[in-house]
Amino acid sequence: MPHQFQERHALEELVSMNAAAAADHLAVVARQAIVVVLAAEGQEASVAALLTADEEISVRFSAPGEWLVVTGLQTPELLQQSLAALLRETAHCVDQSHGRVLLRLSGANSRAILAKGIGIDLHPSAFVIGSSANVLCGHISINLALVDKNSFEIVVMRSFAESLLHDLCEMGRAFDLSVFFAP
Amino acid sequence: MASLIPCPHCGVRPKEEFAIRGDASLVRPDPESSDETWNDYVHIRANPRGRYREHWQHVAGCRRWLVVERDTFTHEVFSVTDGSVRAWEIGR
Repeated sequence: MPHQFQERHALEELVSMNAAAAADHLAVVARQAIVVVLAAEGQEASVAALLTADEEISVRFSAPGEWLVVTGLQTPELLQQSLAALLRETAHCVDQSHGRVLLRLSGANSRAILAKGIGIDLHPSAFVIGSSANVLCGHISINLALVDKNSFEIVVMRSFAESLLHDLCEMGRAFDLSVFFAP
Repeated sequence: MASLIPCPHCGVRPKEEFAIRGDASLVRPDPESSDETWNDYVHIRANPRGRYREHWQHVAGCRRWLVVERDTFTHEVFSVTDGSVRAWEIGR
């Protein structure tokens, strides 16, 4: 019996489409490709070198020998295929594009907002552009990355996205944080 | 309790990110061992005041098992190593 699957964003009914963003803004990214890469034993260094050499993808550290590969330039299928061709037997690649939600928090107060729920040093000298880490935000485990001067990207598991969004809105209330789907 | 744990993979993190399994010095007895030996292994724990070596898992971070050596009285953390390194060191 054929099934018809409909693609729905986890935050579809909770977040409105884009309007005017405030100074501090949380953008919910509607379409992205996310693949978990787990290096085979002993192949950690070569996989890391291959991943960082690719300029179309953003590589987020998750654990020793494990990364999240994020891109907005490719479809999930294409990213999965290109990574499988690039890494071959040296790593396992699992498509998580529909299993995770990508959020982008930007603004001058983004660090102050995140500091309310995160226990790591977010000072620009400690958490530099390009850094990424798995951290606990409130009670939810997320992957946090600094992609630009004051712009963080958060990757969270789909089923936790709603709860995290609620927490982030609460954390951003003092700064008049706005939340919309990214255009 | 020690509140900041220097994870070898993630850096200094709050203890809320970890799950604690307990004593890391125990060695699993031979399957044919007596019931008493197994009972000791499964149930009986020392509760030392001072230096203690435990298995901690960095659940909210790298999800690796770590061996944390800490002081239960002063809360000082002496060393944190990845569980696989530790297992290799003691030949298990």
